[in-house]
Amino acid sequence: MALDQVQTTCPYCGAGCQIMFHVDREKNQIVEAVPAMGRTNEGTLCLKGHYGWDYLNDPQLLTKRLRNPMIRKGGKKSPLVEVSWEEAISYVAEKLTEIKEKYGPDAIMGTGSARGAGNEANYLMQKFMRACVGTNNVDHCARI
Amino acid sequence: MSMGIPEIEDASCLLCFGYNGADSHPIVARRIVRGKQKGMKIICVDPRVTETARISDIHMQLKGGSNLALVNAMANVIWNEGMTDDAFITEHTKGFDDFLKVIEKYTPEYAEKICQVPAETIRQAARMYAKSRPAMILYGMGVCQFSQAVDVVKGLANLALMTGNFGGPSMGIGPVRGQNNVQGACDMGALPNSYPGYQSVTDPAARKKFEEAWGVALPDKVGCPITHVPHRILHETDEKKKIHAYYIFGEDPAQSDPDLAEVREALDKCDFVVMQDIYMNKTGLHADVILPATAWGEHDGVYTCADRGFQRIRKAVEPKGNVKPDWQIISEISTAMGYPMHYNNTEEIWNEMIDLCPDFAGATYEKMEKYGSVQWPCRDKSMEDRGTPYLHKNGIFATKDHRALFYGTDWHPPLEMENDEYPMTLSTVREVGHYSVRTMTGNCRMLRNLEDEPGWVQMNPQDCRRLHLSKGELVKILSKRGYCITRCLPTERVKPGATYMTYQWWVGACNELTTAYLDPISNTPEYKYCACRVEKIDDQDWAERHVKELYAEIRTQLGISAEKEARS
Amino acid sequence: MNCFVKGNPDLCIGCRTCMIGCVVAHEGKHIFQVDPDSCSFNPRLHVVKTASLSVPVQCKHCENPACMAVCGEGAIYRKDGRVLISEETCIGCKACMEACPFGAITMDTAAGKLQADGSERKVAVKCDLCSNLPGGPACVRVCPTQALELVTRDDLENSAGQKRARAARAALSLQQKNQKCEV
Repeated sequence: MALDQVQTTCPYCGAGCQIMFHVDREKNQIVEAVPAMGRTNEGTLCLKGHYGWDYLNDPQLLTKRLRNPMIRKGGKKSPLVEVSWEEAISYVAEKLTEIKEKYGPDAIMGTGSARGAGNEANYLMQKFMRACVGTNNVDHCARI
Repeated sequence: MSMGIPEIEDASCLLCFGYNGADSHPIVARRIVRGKQKGMKIICVDPRVTETARISDIHMQLKGGSNLALVNAMANVIWNEGMTDDAFITEHTKGFDDFLKVIEKYTPEYAEKICQVPAETIRQAARMYAKSRPAMILYGMGVCQFSQAVDVVKGLANLALMTGNFGGPSMGIGPVRGQNNVQGACDMGALPNSYPGYQSVTDPAARKKFEEAWGVALPDKVGCPITHVPHRILHETDEKKKIHAYYIFGEDPAQSDPDLAEVREALDKCDFVVMQDIYMNKTGLHADVILPATAWGEHDGVYTCADRGFQRIRKAVEPKGNVKPDWQIISEISTAMGYPMHYNNTEEIWNEMIDLCPDFAGATYEKMEKYGSVQWPCRDKSMEDRGTPYLHKNGIFATKDHRALFYGTDWHPPLEMENDEYPMTLSTVREVGHYSVRTMTGNCRMLRNLEDEPGWVQMNPQDCRRLHLSKGELVKILSKRGYCITRCLPTERVKPGATYMTYQWWVGACNELTTAYLDPISNTPEYKYCACRVEKIDDQDWAERHVKELYAEIRTQLGISAEKEARS
Repeated sequence: MNCFVKGNPDLCIGCRTCMIGCVVAHEGKHIFQVDPDSCSFNPRLHVVKTASLSVPVQCKHCENPACMAVCGEGAIYRKDGRVLISEETCIGCKACMEACPFGAITMDTAAGKLQADGSERKVAVKCDLCSNLPGGPACVRVCPTQALELVTRDDLENSAGQKRARAARAALSLQQKNQKCEV
């Protein structure tokens, strides 16, 4: 069985270590992570870099991977109900538009994410808050 | 960081201040170890005996919350013993005379009383730092997570400025950013005061540029910092400032933020809470809508590491289920709200971004592909511009007149001090095998097996004896805001009267105790200091059962199926 | 002479990557795919932290092993420069655990083996220098600070040779110094 190799950056701290995944494409699974020669890590990894990827196989040790959009249709405390993406997106858009019209754009707060999402998603999030919602109310956990 | 991570090991002296690399960034700590092997002198400032303290030449085990007094005292010694780099001060800085007036009273003897570090040790440390070249300062959350944080950062910069330790390799000061992409989220302008590339929202020229690029008028007022959100939901009386909707993307404030009881109340009282994440988490229990996103390993993109290095992340496996990449979800909401966003991939977004940010303009995907890592500033798209390993080359600073400013301030104590009811202090720290709120690492087999609920409270053996506690015993720890249950870990590495807990546990959730007092400039909470009390639990059998039940209950709430629960 | 893995407290940062590396080496890579509760987590080395020390501790593969001497079942034997425990022969009496001066032996469930009454078999386990792996001990390979090294007979002899040379030089300079004093 031939394994594909995919190089990526570790998602666990600011050290920016390079990891080489060995991927079984048929099973769509990562088999192993080995250190790659990155500028900062020079072929070394810590325990999170070596062994911090198998959450992708959803072992359900701690929590469950989210697989579908969900809405609390009966308001706060009501159960979450799985819905289609179309319904979830238009529901969020309607509610945010309603709040913006009623209270103004500064009544809406958005966060960026310093974790797995990546720079492009953060760029779009702040662009969304500033250009679409019309507020500078965007921040992330750098200060936390 | 003004320097690159690989440069650390070539410094002649490292002042490691409130930074525990071994737990937060083992691969940065590796550079410190290598430096030591090459003969680097190490001065470690930390209230705990960290791994760096263990191999240091001088360890100043100061009392928590006394940082600025110590920094000012080091400056005082450097000045009074004539160890300043006068040419550098004259040519590249301003404000030195005003700064001297502030540090005048911070003699080592004055600081000794505040910091509990002998005056002579402070003198020796100041000499070791000032006489070494190049000398580097690394700092971490032991500086930033206090109500007096920015002042200390400036204080450390003062030390580097007065000794001329800026502008070359292996010198300067480095905040070692905790999370993988904190640097990136800042770079991208996920900040209330700046657009991408640190261009201010209050600068009319910058605003005009982004207005033209995005084709819409933009607000000119600085936005709300994240740590003000609970207040703005719960207590804001000005209707114009009150927050009614909270779109939380890839964060878990109901676990990571201080004073969790207040956070939960705020999320429940907020009219509309959207959570976009990969795992169900504590915040999800309060969200009105949950949007499932792809995880690291399932999408492409770029992260910025702590030393400004842009590096690619790549998709390794196909995501399962009905999930979408974060950028796609945001684009679809924006389009539905009448501001269309259409991108085919992350590179298109990246290219739009770098053309708006002069400091990032040259950092193309092609270069990251070819060189692996590109440290900003990288201003030119030609393949010759490979980025910038260290900042402020030749003492040229990013100010209007290219001079750095000395900035002296007086020390003040933390805002919640020990008292009769809560006689000990609590500081939150990191667990090396877990990351952030642990939704990722807690779902990794090996990391979960190494450390699991309810975590530990590190205490000096003297305190343990006083309270009749032994290793592994479950204890109750309380502050005036809340309490949790955790295990006692006696260790000589912490001082009597101080306790330390890591913040990712649900049962041992130390943020039930922490305060929401903020640094007035950075708005960072004082996670490193609050008053607490530790209580013995007599019925250990009950406590063990209770912890187990509580853990199971939270997991069930977060969607681990009953069948799975029965098996484990 | 037997080989052994040695930890260096000057390089160790206490991160415990070695402990997980050990578990993965002995359980096999499949543990990342199977039911998380179906495998055991029993590192054969332990990072010890005291007030001033952090260092991994494990079996020294002694030349005159106390564990082997006390084992009544003959389950502990020497092979290819290693001291090993036979899972099949071990009856779990724990005498070796008590005898080991380094605390290097623990009890673990023998994978896939059951006793006559259907209950799990518990046996003594310790560092086997990853005899099953081609790349040598996993702890040495995964340590990010190179704080662990495999010490072989050659390493020990080289090191002893160097120390003898140093001692000889010291003796010579001492002799010269004494001569000067006498003059």
